[in-house]
Amino acid sequence: MMDDPREDAALEALFQAERTRAPEISPEFMARLEAEAVAAIPKPAPQIRSAPRRTSWLAGIFTASGLSGAALAGIWIGFAMPESFDTLTLTADNSVSLTAFLPGADMGSLFDE
Amino acid sequence: MDQTLPRAADAADDMADGALLVAYANGDTDAGRTMVRLLSPMLFGYATRVLGDRAEAEDVVQETMLKLWKIAPDWRQGEAKVSTWAYRVMANLCTDRLRQRRGGQVNIDDVAEPPADLASAVEVMTEAARSDALNAALQTLPDRQRQAVVLRHLEGATNPEIARIMDIGVEAVESLTARGKRALKAALAGHKEELGYSDDG
Repeated sequence: MMDDPREDAALEALFQAERTRAPEISPEFMARLEAEAVAAIPKPAPQIRSAPRRTSWLAGIFTASGLSGAALAGIWIGFAMPESFDTLTLTADNSVSLTAFLPGADMGSLFDE
Repeated sequence: MDQTLPRAADAADDMADGALLVAYANGDTDAGRTMVRLLSPMLFGYATRVLGDRAEAEDVVQETMLKLWKIAPDWRQGEAKVSTWAYRVMANLCTDRLRQRRGGQVNIDDVAEPPADLASAVEVMTEAARSDALNAALQTLPDRQRQAVVLRHLEGATNPEIARIMDIGVEAVESLTARGKRALKAALAGHKEELGYSDDG
């Protein structure tokens, strides 16, 4: 058969000519491919915003609960055990006199030192 | 002979090892369009020559590009050339199509034979006629030989690139292209003068 160098060269010449005659892609097909590329572009990852909202919402609940609890406790203490507390009194020389909050507790000793 | 491989090599360089694909995955539509303009002509040329049918070639190019967009978010830059990956997907799709033809839907003899008589194809000594003759002869080659010859001698891929695309060894590529060239020369043997090379030239 053919290991003739001339035939090799001739075939290579055919290849070379053919490389310059690549099948042309139609503009319509090219446009379709570009449109598909744009349509298929990956969507950006969704931003996680619900979690912080939920956190702040929960924090609000806890804050409200804490405040309500403290208020209720204050009211209960004030009405249920008024005798347990002494009062802050304003003396004539505008100094504040702090007396024991709880009977029996030596609160004054805290300030002696 | 180690020829220059302009088309595939240039495109691969321009793509900077997948940088465009990564940009596309990050939402850059221009990068996607650029990739289409770089890759699709090469893929279309390859598919047309291997399948011998423009409509089928468009189908497989479209399918290859869609697969590329799908894997874009997972593309690991630097591990492979996008063009090699695309050619590999394309080669597999072409092989599937050629197998389907053999599966009874199309008579393989009809596919393997040149679409026109080789002698009539080269009666007129024009470049177009030579091109027709070469492509007709290409269609007579077994599928794998045709793929290897097209990649090596028309698409400008190197033997190692072809090995990666066809998932075979470099020696197998050399064997396929050598047998393919011999078969091409045999198919064109009766038309030396028409093709511009005669025994006295």
